[in-house]
Amino acid sequence: MTIDFAKIGPAVGDRFPAITLPGQHGQPVDLHQARAGRRALVVFYRSASW
Amino acid sequence: MLAGFANKHGITYTLLSDEGSRVIHELGLFNEQVYEHHAVYGVPRQDHHWGVPYPGIFLLDEQGRVVQKRFQQSYRERETGPAILERGFGLPSSRHGAETTARSEGIEVCAYLDSETYRFFQRLWLTVELSIAPGLHVYGQPIPEGYIPLSIAVAPIEGLIVGEPEWPEPHPDQVEGLEEALFVYEEKVAVSLPLTFTQEGDDQTLQITVRYQACSATDCFLPSTTRLQLPVQAGDLVDRPRRR
Repeated sequence: MTIDFAKIGPAVGDRFPAITLPGQHGQPVDLHQARAGRRALVVFYRSASW
Repeated sequence: MLAGFANKHGITYTLLSDEGSRVIHELGLFNEQVYEHHAVYGVPRQDHHWGVPYPGIFLLDEQGRVVQKRFQQSYRERETGPAILERGFGLPSSRHGAETTARSEGIEVCAYLDSETYRFFQRLWLTVELSIAPGLHVYGQPIPEGYIPLSIAVAPIEGLIVGEPEWPEPHPDQVEGLEEALFVYEEKVAVSLPLTFTQEGDDQTLQITVRYQACSATDCFLPSTTRLQLPVQAGDLVDRPRRR
């Protein structure tokens, strides 16, 4: 089954949604703030622990 | 747990924890087909797999806009860092692995990989570049019968999937007296093709065959078959060193 990833998740051209989640040091991290005006890669990794 | 993972692997960039997959759901990335996708590879169903996102990457520009999404059909297949930077952000960085060059009759053929190592299901890119002397050209597709187009082949290795090459657009070359239009490459042409090793194994040597015919406006050299070799080492996976 082929997945059309163009239709899944934020679309090309859209601003990536604002998200805030805990980082590895326990503090909440606001993604766009942490980016600080730089280009970024947002990587969805399945798990750091199986 | 993320702190331990980051320390263990020397990760200095930010890792975010999406416990309960709340953001994964909100973003529409929840993988509802994870069991089916695992079944393709014979992985048995385990409850703790539920909740994962589709694995992939969003590239954001300075304004935080998505400029590209890089997701693969197989959840196992991952790209190298250099490939993402070059193919995503256009940053030249693809020469990270072995490189080899051969020369003959006005053409220099160079082949290189974007990684020194291969890992299980990691997508590597092989690039073959031809530097063509002034006044000469080689042929692209489409091509009339009897002409030899530029072609690249990689000898089979067990478990290696060789993807389709990405051919740059050749330009048309109308030769006086010839009815058919020819499509040619001049000066420099670079062709990339994806390689995915779907088995863990030993260090490998890629055997690459590049075939072409170099011609000027009036004459042609004999068709050329150039054979190149590129070594690629078996790399360790995050959670286990390779067996030696």
